[in-house]
Amino acid sequence: MPAVEPAAAPKPAAALPAAPPPAFAIPRPLPLVGSTDATRWAPLLRAVAVRSGPTEQAPVIETLGLKTPEGTSNLVPVLDRHQDRRGTLWLRVRAPALPDNVEGWVPRAALGGYNLVHTRLVVDLEQLQATLFSRGERVYDAPIGVGKADSPTPRGEFYIRNELRAYGSSFYGPIAFGTSARSRVLTDWPAGGFVGIHGTDRPDLLPGRVSHGCIRLRNADIVRLARLLPIGTPLTIQ
Amino acid sequence: MTLTLTDLDRDGAIREALENVGGDSRAGFLRKATVGSAALVGAIAATPTAAAATSRRDVAILNYALTLEYLQAAFYTEAEREGALRGKAARAAGVVGPVERAHVIAFRKALGKAAVKRPTFNFQGTTEDQGRFLETAVAFEDLAVAAYKAQAPRIQSPAILAVAVSIHSVEARHAAWMRRLVGILPAASPFDDGIDRAEAFRIVDATGFVTTSATTRAKGKPRFTG
Repeated sequence: MPAVEPAAAPKPAAALPAAPPPAFAIPRPLPLVGSTDATRWAPLLRAVAVRSGPTEQAPVIETLGLKTPEGTSNLVPVLDRHQDRRGTLWLRVRAPALPDNVEGWVPRAALGGYNLVHTRLVVDLEQLQATLFSRGERVYDAPIGVGKADSPTPRGEFYIRNELRAYGSSFYGPIAFGTSARSRVLTDWPAGGFVGIHGTDRPDLLPGRVSHGCIRLRNADIVRLARLLPIGTPLTIQ
Repeated sequence: MTLTLTDLDRDGAIREALENVGGDSRAGFLRKATVGSAALVGAIAATPTAAAATSRRDVAILNYALTLEYLQAAFYTEAEREGALRGKAARAAGVVGPVERAHVIAFRKALGKAAVKRPTFNFQGTTEDQGRFLETAVAFEDLAVAAYKAQAPRIQSPAILAVAVSIHSVEARHAAWMRRLVGILPAASPFDDGIDRAEAFRIVDATGFVTTSATTRAKGKPRFTG
């Protein structure tokens, strides 16, 4: 009796072409990289009253305009958040008020999107030196000129507001950064007596106590700083 | 200032490629698309997978997908950074965010110089409020699922379609997860409709989440104290 050959097993998959390989690979999920020295800032979307507490009934301690005197967006560092019982979000911000910058509360809706910086600029009035840190690492330092005895550079916690270029003034050098710091002496100075960080046409005077409160750097040093210093960077003057 | 996604697609490259299937294109678009295709083919050829001939339309679809991935990645990243969420919402943001960032990295690498730029976003506190976060997450995930679905039949390269489908199912899982957290049925209908690009952009534009960057540079003479 002839052997019965087993029937061939059906192979439906053999009739299908191989699946095409993907054109490119998707990497593994990317966890958020933390930073111990991150600062948030946001631009104003409208003029806003800065209040002493996170409520519409709190006293107004400063009013901020939409723009800086230089015409750039008025921005504020964001320090904290509070959500009231009605669900309204409030943010604690630093504001460029006299005599020192103040901390107060504004509605979240008055600010735009968040920006993040990982830098911090420290100005040492004793050592006459500016030092920039990025993610906690020292990445830059340079000798500086600061305010004279009768027009001292204010001490405190401030921030970088804007960057000006191509203004055609050798006195300020090629680049000037606007800060939130304000002179406590030159209160009637045009545009509010804000302290800048800028170049100079008198590099021979640096380092020294030579300015009306601004922080002067040699032109090569301000150009180098501009490559490293993002707007919104916290500024400590000590 | 609020922008529309159409504003960001200033030369109309994405719109034109998606709307003119195989049709004529403007010279500007052709230039961009040619460069984009070359860059993408180069990037793909450098991978272990087989090189694929990448059409202008496929490049445009990838850029459209990248735009939506930017939106999602920025949303979850901000939610993670702000740390205002709690419980299951915080956990979901912490899982979905890294995945959306991986999508962005992959598309940018594949598109090379042809990749559209990252928009600026203002999420208006939705990343800092539990309820608004979840509602927005559902909207974004549903949108992504519907957008990928609508474009899948138009993708010309099987290799790129394989990527798109692999992401589509991930987005669908995200959508189901977020819907579950909000209390919406994850899958209530037997078939889902796609959403075309115009409708997808209209939905995103209506949120006002896409904005202009802050103006931080000027040319006026300084009036600092000196």
